[in-house]
Amino acid sequence: MRNIVLNHDDADDVLQNTFVKVFQNLKNFKGESKLFSWLYRIATNEAITFLNAKAKRNGMTSADFQQKQVENLQADSYFEGDEIQLKLQKAIALLPEKQQLVFKMRYFEELKYEELSDILDTSVGGLKASYHHAVKKIEEYMLKN
Amino acid sequence: MNSFNLENQPKINSGFKTPEHYFENFSEQLLAKIGQDEKPVISIFQRHRNWFLAVAAVLILGIMIPFLNKPADASNIDDATMENYLAQSNISQYELVNMLDDADIDALERDLAMDESTLESAIEYNGNLENYITE
Repeated sequence: MRNIVLNHDDADDVLQNTFVKVFQNLKNFKGESKLFSWLYRIATNEAITFLNAKAKRNGMTSADFQQKQVENLQADSYFEGDEIQLKLQKAIALLPEKQQLVFKMRYFEELKYEELSDILDTSVGGLKASYHHAVKKIEEYMLKN
Repeated sequence: MNSFNLENQPKINSGFKTPEHYFENFSEQLLAKIGQDEKPVISIFQRHRNWFLAVAAVLILGIMIPFLNKPADASNIDDATMENYLAQSNISQYELVNMLDDADIDALERDLAMDESTLESAIEYNGNLENYITE
């Protein structure tokens, strides 16, 4: 969640919203997917919705807003990354939304493609392609910067 | 460095850390938030009950009025009432006659048993005789 919204206070809000939504909708969970995937999907959607809403309130596109969040990371007390970690976050922020999600979940959280497919409702082939493109763009950025 | 290969690099972590003691009060905060977010469900009918009742009353009246507002049946009116009505109305004899059909005229016929002297008196002392002849 923090990987998506980047800001700790925002992540705190999103986490609580996610638990509330899970609590309210647990009775509707019929077991069509794994519980883990269902929870993760809610959390991901809540994070994206939150981010888009906050960007709109600030009069910015989601992409621009995320760029701004990344620039604020260095001053964030809950970010203890070094130079290369910060550079990686900046590289990821330049990716399209779907590639960002796929990369973060695959690289940072080490989820399997089958799990990602369940969460993001995308084919394994599509996810592999997204991840491959994301990695290529990140490697270019890391080399140039 | 000519290339940067992410898979060959040591794993780069995200750099984010969870604040210490973050989850200690988390349950209480969450339960408080769940309590706030549970709003009572009020149906549209309950919210605008008076409007619904007013609309229902208007509709019922609208349906009932044609049934309640029956025109008066002429056969129920007595002769005295009819005569008074005709006397006070502005209907001319010409208009009145045009309203009568053959059946009405036949019903008005009377056989008068009158001798010649009575008839002569009626003609002699009736000032409107010329009007009747003209009409």
